[in-house]
Formats: sequence, structure tokens, C-alpha cells
Amino acid sequence: MSMNDTQDQRATALDQKAKEAYFTASQGQLIWARFKKQRAAMIAAVLLAAMVISGLFAPFLSPYDPTIAGRDKDYTNGAPQIPQFCDKNGCSMRPFIHAVERERSLATNFRWVTKINEDKRLYMQFFVKGDKYKLLGFIPGSVHLFGVDEGKIHLFGTDEDGQDIFSRTLHAVWTSLKVGSIGVLIAFVLALIIGGVAGYYGGWVDSVIQMITDAVRTVPAIPLFMAIAAFMPPELTAEARFFYISLLLGFINWPTLARRVRTHLLSERNQEYVLAAELCGAPAGHVIRRHLLPSFTSYIIVDLVISFPYMVLSETALSFIGLGLKDPVSSLGVMLQKATSADVLLNYQWYYIPVIFFIVLVMSFVFVGDGLRDAADPYSDQGK
Amino acid sequence: MSTLIDVQNLTLQFRTDEGLVTAVDNVSFSLDKGEVMGLVGESGSGKSVTAKSLMHLNASNAVYSPESKITLYTDTGPVDVLSLRRPSELKIVRGGAVSMIFQEPMASFAPALTIGKQMVEQLQLHSDVSKTQARNLSIEMLDRVGISDAGKRIDQYAFELSGGMRQRAMIAMALSTKPKLLIADEPTTALDVTIQAQVIDLMKDLVDEFHMGIIFITHDLGVVAQTADRVNVMYLGRLIEEGPVRDVIRQPKHPYTQGLIAALPKLEDLDAPLTPVPGDIPSPLERPSGCVFHTRCSQIVGDMCSAKAPTERELDEEHKVACHLYSDLHTEAVQ
Amino acid sequence: MTDVLIRAEGLSVGFQIGGGLFRKDILKAVNNVSVTIEKGSFFGLVGESGSGKTTLGRALLKAVPITEGHARYNDGEVDVDIASLEGPALKDYRKRAQLIFQDPYAALSPRMTVRDIIAEPLEVMRLTKTREETDARVREIAAKCRLNLEHLRRFPHAFSGGQRQRISIARALVSGPQFIVADESVAALDVSIQADVLNLLKQIQADMGLTFMFISHDLSVVAHTCDHVAVMYLGRLVETAPTRKLFAGPRHPYTKALFSAIPSLDPDDRGKAQKLTGEIPSPTNQPPGCKFHTRCPNAIDRCKSEEPQLEGDGSGHEVACHRWKELLELTPA
Repeated sequence: MSMNDTQDQRATALDQKAKEAYFTASQGQLIWARFKKQRAAMIAAVLLAAMVISGLFAPFLSPYDPTIAGRDKDYTNGAPQIPQFCDKNGCSMRPFIHAVERERSLATNFRWVTKINEDKRLYMQFFVKGDKYKLLGFIPGSVHLFGVDEGKIHLFGTDEDGQDIFSRTLHAVWTSLKVGSIGVLIAFVLALIIGGVAGYYGGWVDSVIQMITDAVRTVPAIPLFMAIAAFMPPELTAEARFFYISLLLGFINWPTLARRVRTHLLSERNQEYVLAAELCGAPAGHVIRRHLLPSFTSYIIVDLVISFPYMVLSETALSFIGLGLKDPVSSLGVMLQKATSADVLLNYQWYYIPVIFFIVLVMSFVFVGDGLRDAADPYSDQGK
Repeated sequence: MSTLIDVQNLTLQFRTDEGLVTAVDNVSFSLDKGEVMGLVGESGSGKSVTAKSLMHLNASNAVYSPESKITLYTDTGPVDVLSLRRPSELKIVRGGAVSMIFQEPMASFAPALTIGKQMVEQLQLHSDVSKTQARNLSIEMLDRVGISDAGKRIDQYAFELSGGMRQRAMIAMALSTKPKLLIADEPTTALDVTIQAQVIDLMKDLVDEFHMGIIFITHDLGVVAQTADRVNVMYLGRLIEEGPVRDVIRQPKHPYTQGLIAALPKLEDLDAPLTPVPGDIPSPLERPSGCVFHTRCSQIVGDMCSAKAPTERELDEEHKVACHLYSDLHTEAVQ
Repeated sequence: MTDVLIRAEGLSVGFQIGGGLFRKDILKAVNNVSVTIEKGSFFGLVGESGSGKTTLGRALLKAVPITEGHARYNDGEVDVDIASLEGPALKDYRKRAQLIFQDPYAALSPRMTVRDIIAEPLEVMRLTKTREETDARVREIAAKCRLNLEHLRRFPHAFSGGQRQRISIARALVSGPQFIVADESVAALDVSIQADVLNLLKQIQADMGLTFMFISHDLSVVAHTCDHVAVMYLGRLVETAPTRKLFAGPRHPYTKALFSAIPSLDPDDRGKAQKLTGEIPSPTNQPPGCKFHTRCPNAIDRCKSEEPQLEGDGSGHEVACHRWKELLELTPA
């Protein structure tokens, strides 16, 4: 009897703890708890985190420099080389690839003929010293995660200049994330100020700002970009260009966010607890800081996450038609520029492998955003 | 056979983020034709959920226990409500033989359609009438519920009417299909008291005229006293007392009912202190064991109340209570 | 001779509705209302929708601007005209006059702990200097409202309606006010909890010597808690009297109808009520003369053109009706 009692006691004690945790959970904690329950969103979040980390450490993870400097002249338009553990000569603990020999052959109209030398093994090595890089832009280093003892290894193949697609893909993901972040940040700051003023003051201030917002919104993006691209001097360094493109994306996309900020503010403004604070004589700053901002932080985070994919795709589209980033900066758009000929489509399909990465990136953002949005309303059905 | 609807062992749980939450626990009752039953309870009592079950209207995360059975006796024979699946079958209980009116009339009228369009649509869904016939019937119904200028009002939108008129329009729409059972979920709670009196009168007249059964859900015992023939009192999903209205209100047997009536401020005695029922209604996540009311009850009988849930006993003349105070063991002990 | 805390004379609150730039339609939610609220009293304000009772309450708190008339507030320390308060004087008034809201679910910020919610007025009004002082005061007030220490760490979603209303009350009390407007503060609560909150309010009033203005549409609740009641209809005060007197003998036809419309708990008491016909007129389209004449069973020609003024018989019982004297004689004793 007493065993059962203590077991029951323990069960109720744990129960009590769980309930107390629920009662004292802040909104952030509640949202996180709800988010964790969504399988798809959690998987997407993990994938997203993986991509961000791989982007951060792209120079380390990729075996070669993604620019022309790191190209493999002997293996242009080369097929992907997958490491293996066993071949006809037996198995080994260390993964290896077979060496490749190329020669121009009369028979094929002087095209390259690639011959895989199955007897020569190139073992993979880890933490090799290779091309120099600057991690995160300022930490110098030259160690790469993997490489081969002789020659080069191209997991995703190479393009027409011999640039390693695997390295380029990792860097491209990182570039897109950077451009997207800056764009979202700029759009957000603008949206917060403009939408905030409109939503807080209402009345004619709101009407005027709405008119301006709608006007900016109706401007078609592509012609605008073309016009601005025409103005950008071609001598701009890659970094400067990168910065301006991000700025541009932010400036074009703020109306949508601003409208959302305004809507949230307008509805929160009239909540009774805001009135209660004002009846204590709370100044506008206090009301905004303590009540209004926290009330829509979760919604705005959702909006930000969901607008990320639009930024990434906008940049991709721009770069693809030549108005955005250019070589040597790698981004998906830049990489796809090289993939437009029928030759590539028919013979060098590995050029499209980065597309898969981008689909995963964009979809991860979408799923995480959706998951956050579903989790962000723990109070929407509460009440009676 | 005058039984209109029979509910047996209705148990309903909802699947939520916090687990399975019991909303209705083993509720059984029946209603006769032309009878008005008041379903009384406070928040969390499960009264609205019970009523929606009668029309199989609960959300998709509702889990009914296998013993739950709701039988509706229509002109064409008995219908097992909980087993209805297809829209063509469900039509009978939704707007056909059973109609529902809600607390917030603005919520049941589509804001972008005129009242007339919605009433005509409803009629055409449930009976074989032409559009003109449906329109005429609707105007007749609007007139019957006391809306002046029915011919003009039928083409107005819901927001153009005042609260009281909207409620009447909703009653008209619910009654136009001549249902056998009308479920009214807090229909007068949102109305001003002078308008409430008018709507209550209207409903009583309509009961007499249409010989309908009405389930009147409310938390207001005064409204129940004025309209109902019988009262069912619910607390935290259980039916704790039921009986003829005079008996239950004048001689409440269950401590909760007694507490509820005692807590009401009465105009006859302005000096009497207000006596609340002590404690708070437990959250549905924390259902008390045994008798659900024992945590707030002042008349607990030893250990029985926290250990075992009392079953309903008939005291006299259809007046039933679920309370250990009236169980065999206890009454014997007292004697 | 008890002190008068608030004396309002000819108070009107108008709102501009629609109209646009050139046409200004003014909706007078409160129209020419004069009330006297004594210090330490529990003053009830009763009415249905469109009566203006909520607006009057908020006007006395200077939460909405007063367009006409005066309202004098005098609690012994300060003596001000509410209508012209601004700047530091207004800030000071906010410490003395507070509001308890109706909806316990909307009145508390879901993102703040109970302790922060109750402490907010202290922080905004800079009434305490240190965090310890604030905490001590919060605990003191919370204890008065029967909230214990562990409640203070929780968020509003952990509480029921009745408990939330107690948190609202604690927040209103923490700045040490003299005057509290309770706007339908028990309307959203279950009956078994209502009595609890009402008892709490009465107890607080006794303990702290506060003056309450209790706004409600529920006459029975008002009858049990208030010592003086005023009835409003369409922005005007139609009757005001000490509670016992009012309920023993209402004089205005609207008040009489209001009383008889309350559903009686006696099932055999059916059909005796005097039912009012018609709807409450829209506040934007008010009838001329006495606003109640369209639904009044005792209306005469004079009522259609001339607005009645509040008249009393000296006992504190005042009515705004042309025929109140003759109707009084007509009613059987």
C-alpha cells in the first residue's frame, strides 16, 4: 500500500511541477513548447541550422577556393567524384577516389575523353592544408576538412572553368543567407519605423503613410532593378556590389512588413490592458516598450522568417539575369547563369545539384515560419 | 411516444496540446415533445458542448466514448445522431429537425449577405420549396417574431438591425424549417434586460404554437425559472441535478445547486449577505477525483466524496440528484 | 454632513462621428448629467446599452474628454475640476482615481507576470523608489485581494476569470486611490464567483475607506452592494435615489419597467411583468422631448416636445419625468 502511495505522491509531485511550469511559463517559453511539438517544423529547423553552420564554416568545409583562383584546370566540366571504400582491388578503411586521366581524342572531335584509372587510388585525407581563406571574413586559415593526397576531389563535379561545384554551393548558400539577412534587416528597420508610426498614431498620419506605402508597393521590381543596375558602375568591387544589392532588396520589400507592423499595432493599441497602462499616466514610450512591442514580437519574427525566402529568391533571380551579384562572388543565381546552355542540360547535369540545396533552404524557412506562426498564438483561443 | 431526444451515457473528450481533456462525463437525459428544458451551468460545465453534440457539431478533435448514444425521434423513425457521417444524413440534425440559436447573433449571420438570402438558402436546403415560396415563408416568419416591416427588413444586412432584432431574426431563421427541437445557447445573455424580457416572451409563445422541444442553455437561473418546465444542472461535465423547475429551484438538493441559488442577489431581501460558492471552478485539466464538486462542497460525507463519483438517484417525482448525501449508505447512517 | 467627493454638473460628453471634413455629427453619449457622489459611498450607475453609463464613468476618470459642464473632485487633499485637468495635475489625479475593467481576459497583459502587472502603476507613477519597496507594496495589496506569493510569479493564462478580476482589482488599488470606477466588473464572471468578488470590493471599501462608482446593467447586483443608485437612459439621468428608497418605490416609468423585466426566480411569477415594447432608440437618432417617450406607457403630448428635468422631493430621491407626481398618486400604496 505504502509503495503505491509514494508512487502516487511522486506522480502527483511531478504533475504539480509540470503544471507550475506551465503557469509560470512566459510567452516565449510557451511558443517554444508548442513549436517543439510540430515534427515538420522541427526537422526544418534542424536542416536550417545545419545550413547556417555549413555556411558559416564554408571555407573550412569546402576543399577548394570557390573562385577562379581555386579551379582545377585539368578537370573542367568534370563529373562528380563520389568517394568509395571498396573497388575491384579490395576494400580499405579510408575512403578514396579513382584518379582521372583526360586526353583529347580525335575520335570525339577533340572533346575531352575522361578515363578513370581504376588502379590508381587517391585517398581522402582530412584536415588538409589547402587554399588560404578568411573564416567569417577575418579569421585567416588554410586548413580544409578534407582533400586528397594527390590531385583534387570534386564531390559535385566542376563547371566549365574547373571550379569545384561543392565548394561553390556551400559558399553560395552562405552568400544567399547573408544577402537575405541584410535585406530582411533593412526592410525590418524601415517597416518598424514607418509601420510603427502609422499604427501608433492612426488618423491622418496613418492615411498618408498608407498611401506612400502602397505607392512603393506598386513599383514593379524587375524594371526597377534593371534601372538601378544600369546606374551601378561596373567597377564596383564584388563586396560593394553585394552590399548595394542587399540594400536594394531591403528597400523594395519593406512595404509588406510595414503593413503587417501597422496592422498588429492598430489592433494591440486598443487592447484594454494598454488602456489600463495609459490610465496610470504611462507615457507613449512606456506603452510601446512594455506592451505594444512585446505583443507583436512573435508575429514579427514569423513575418521576418517568412520573408527570408522572398529575399533569397529575389537575389537569385536578379543574379541569374545578370543584374545582381557577379563572379567571383558565388550565389545560386550566378551559378545558374552558367547552366543555361543545352550542352549543360544534356551532358553536365551536375550543374543543377545546388538547386536541391536551395529548395531545401527555402522550404526550411517556409516550414519553420509556418511552425512558428502556428505556435505563436497560444492565447488566440484562450478566454472562455 | 412523446420522447423527442434521448441522450445516453454521453462522454466527450477533446484532444488538446495538454492531453485529453474531459468536457462531458457520462451525461444522460431525455426531452419530450413540447417540453422546455433549462440546461444550467457555469464556465467549464460542458453545457454548450453537450448541446452541440446533439447536432454532431463539435470540433474534429472531439472524442466520443463508445457508450455515448444520442437518439433523435423524428417523424421517419429514430436517428442515431453520433453515427451520422455524410452531409446528406447530417442535414437532418443540422437545421432540419434540430435548429440552434446562439448567444451572439452577429456571429450566425454572414455579414455580406442579406438576411433574406440566408433564410431562403436555409429553407431551400431543408425542404422542397421554390425561391418565391421560401421568401414568402421567411417574411411570414420575420413578422411572426415581431419584426416590423418584415417585407423591407428581409433585404437588410445583419449589421443594420439592433441587437434585439438580430436575435429575433435568428430565431425566425431557426424556426423557418419547423424544427422539432430548438437548442438555444445563451440567446439572451448579450441582450439588454428589457429586450431579454421580450425575447423570452416570444420564445414561450412559439413553444405553444409550434409544439417544439427547447433546450435552453443559460447560466441565468431567473431566465430558466421563467421559461423552463425542467431544469438540468451541470458542473464540470457532469449532470448533478435534474427535475421539474419548481422542485429544483424551491428545494434544491445538490450542494452546488443550493450554493448557486444562494449566491444570487435577490431583490426581495436586500439585507441578506451575498454568499458565494467557496473556491474556484477547477480547470478542466485538473478534474477532481470522485465527485467533481467535492473540492468546494461544504457538506462532504467522509471519504466517499473524494473517492467515488456518485450516481444519479431519483428522489421523488422525477427529481434526480447525483450526490452521496442521498446515497443508500448515507441515508441509512443518518437514520 | 458627509463630504462630497465628486460633484458633476451639466456634464456632457460628445463624440464626433462620421461627417468628414465639413459636416460634424456630434453624438452625445452623456447629456447634461448632474450627480453627487459622497465620500465613502458605493454609488451604483445602472442602464442598458446606449445609456452612457460607461462613458460617464470614464469621463469622471478623464479617460474621455468632457465637452460640456463641470465635475469637481475634492478628497480633502486636492480640489480640482476634472474637465480642465492636464499636465502634472492630471498625473496626480490618476493616482487618486482608478478603473477596474469588465473583461478579465482582456484587461491583463498576457506577457507580464502578475507581479509586474500589479507593480506597473507604481513604476509608471514613480510611487516607489526601490524594487524592494515596490515588491513589498505589491505583496501587501495582493494579500488584500487574496492572491498569494506563488500567484505573483505566474502569468495570467494560469488563472480563472474570478482570479483575474482580483488581479485587476489589485492593480487598481496599488497606487492608493480614493475613487474607483468599477465598470461592469462582475458581468463577465460566473454567478458563484460574482458574489465573491462583490464581497471583496465591499471589504476593501470598508478597510481602505474608498469611494466606488459601480457601473452595471444588473439591478439585483446593484441593489445588494450600492447605497445610492442612479439610472441612466440614452445619455440622461432619469432617476436617482438611495438604494432602499429606489427599490421600494421606483418613480420613473423606465425604472419601473427595468425592475419588472428582471426574470424572477419564482416560476409561478410569470406574466406579471410590465413588458416594454419597442427598441432602445439609437444614440445617433434620439427622439425629441423626453428620450423615453417612444416606449413609455404613460407618455402624454408634453413628453414628445419638452425634456423633463430632475426634480426631487427633498429626500434625495430625484426623477426626470413630467408626470412623476401624478403617477405616484395613481400607484396603489
